Amino acid sequence: MRAIDHYAWTNRWRDRHPAEKLLPALALLLLTLILPPLTTGPLVLAGTTLTVVYGAGIPWKTLLSVLAAPAAFLLAGAPFLAISLDFSQGFSLHISSEGMWLALATTIRALAAISCLAFLTLTTPLADWIPLLRRVGVPAGLIELILLIYRLIFVFAERALTGRRAQTARLGYSRFDRGVRSVGLLAGNLFQRALEQARRLEIGLAARGYTGELRVLTPERPLSWPRLTVALAGVMLIGLAGGLLARGSP
Amino acid sequence: MHIAEGFLPPLHAAAWTVVALPFVVVGARRVTRLLREQPQLKLLLAAAGAFAFVISALKLPSVTGSCSHATGVGLGAILFGPAVMTVLGTIVLVFQALLLAHGGLTTLGANVFAMAIVGPWVAYGVLLGMRWLNVPLTVGVFLAVMLANLATYGVTAGQLALAFPDPASGVAGAFLKFAGVFAPTQLPLAVVEGLLTVVVINLLRQHGAHDLRDLRAFPQTFVPEVRS
Repeated sequence: MRAIDHYAWTNRWRDRHPAEKLLPALALLLLTLILPPLTTGPLVLAGTTLTVVYGAGIPWKTLLSVLAAPAAFLLAGAPFLAISLDFSQGFSLHISSEGMWLALATTIRALAAISCLAFLTLTTPLADWIPLLRRVGVPAGLIELILLIYRLIFVFAERALTGRRAQTARLGYSRFDRGVRSVGLLAGNLFQRALEQARRLEIGLAARGYTGELRVLTPERPLSWPRLTVALAGVMLIGLAGGLLARGSP
Repeated sequence: MHIAEGFLPPLHAAAWTVVALPFVVVGARRVTRLLREQPQLKLLLAAAGAFAFVISALKLPSVTGSCSHATGVGLGAILFGPAVMTVLGTIVLVFQALLLAHGGLTTLGANVFAMAIVGPWVAYGVLLGMRWLNVPLTVGVFLAVMLANLATYGVTAGQLALAFPDPASGVAGAFLKFAGVFAPTQLPLAVVEGLLTVVVINLLRQHGAHDLRDLRAFPQTFVPEVRS
């Protein structure tokens, strides 16, 4: 979580207009979903990896660690798509070639889609999504809520880690039943502190004339049409290549 | 139990988004109205949302493009009611996708339906029933949270089964397959989250969470116990 947020704020493309990153990434995600995955998936994966590493200047290792967790879930789960249960004659398990293809296609599609998501999250900080939400018509109150949650997540994560460390040092997780109790106490304590924090924030903001909107200055970032066009052309190229290759090899 | 980005076929992803949307919109209206009437609740809700995120970040691996961990959804539904929790849950799911690459944007609808709609309503319904039957609060809370967790798990398995029906035994066979795959992590997890929430609720009751007065879904629950 730290790594993603850190690179989102410090990568080379940080100061680009959010639309230049959002539009191509979402378009690519859409293509990944609707085009045949066996040919499109690897192209998408290659495209996003290259742009993340050489374009935005994010280290390989970071990208891999972001992809690793969901990829592990996928790889562990894929075999279950290939296995088929049959109740017609008692109970039997099969592995069919169709099932294998389905598992392969689904894994590649999901990996490619996750890489699109990783591109987005590693290059675009969450705060940059807000104008988009506003444009989609999300009420101001909710946007405010989203921003506050974003801020508080990091405050609470810090506290949870500290609390957990303290509990571990006092042998709070030495047995299973102690572990459950410790997590429960940690959660309860965290919740009470969260409420306290909320109350203090509220009083502090009220004293500064808070009327339900936190105004912030967004730095002017001009949208570069050439860059956007190039990015979208790249996305189209990947889509076309994926589609054509799939047609060539049925 | 999140379904990973891109795991569902496009049609299913779109369909679940359409199913989840009305609930989220109704919940969002409710939250906006609540915030207009009582602006001081905004920070409380924000704190609750961030809390749910942090709690859910303690995750355990499971299989099949999905993973399991405490959701905090049951607790939220007991404290704030299901409609509000739907909105908080949706926001938390978006943050999980964007900050942890966990879950995804295309599968957001499916995940919202399982975790932020079915989970909270089951928890709320069960606890309401238990209160009506005069079952002790701790038992009620435990059952509500455990059943909410199991319902979420069942719905996710169902969503995966609908998307990937078994060639031989159809959707039912696929459901058994996915449910069976999740069971070793999900069943203990549901029990653990139930116990955990009881600990949390007891703590809140002992120390009288007065902040919850304005928002609580179960009014009598958070009146601090009178101690002699």
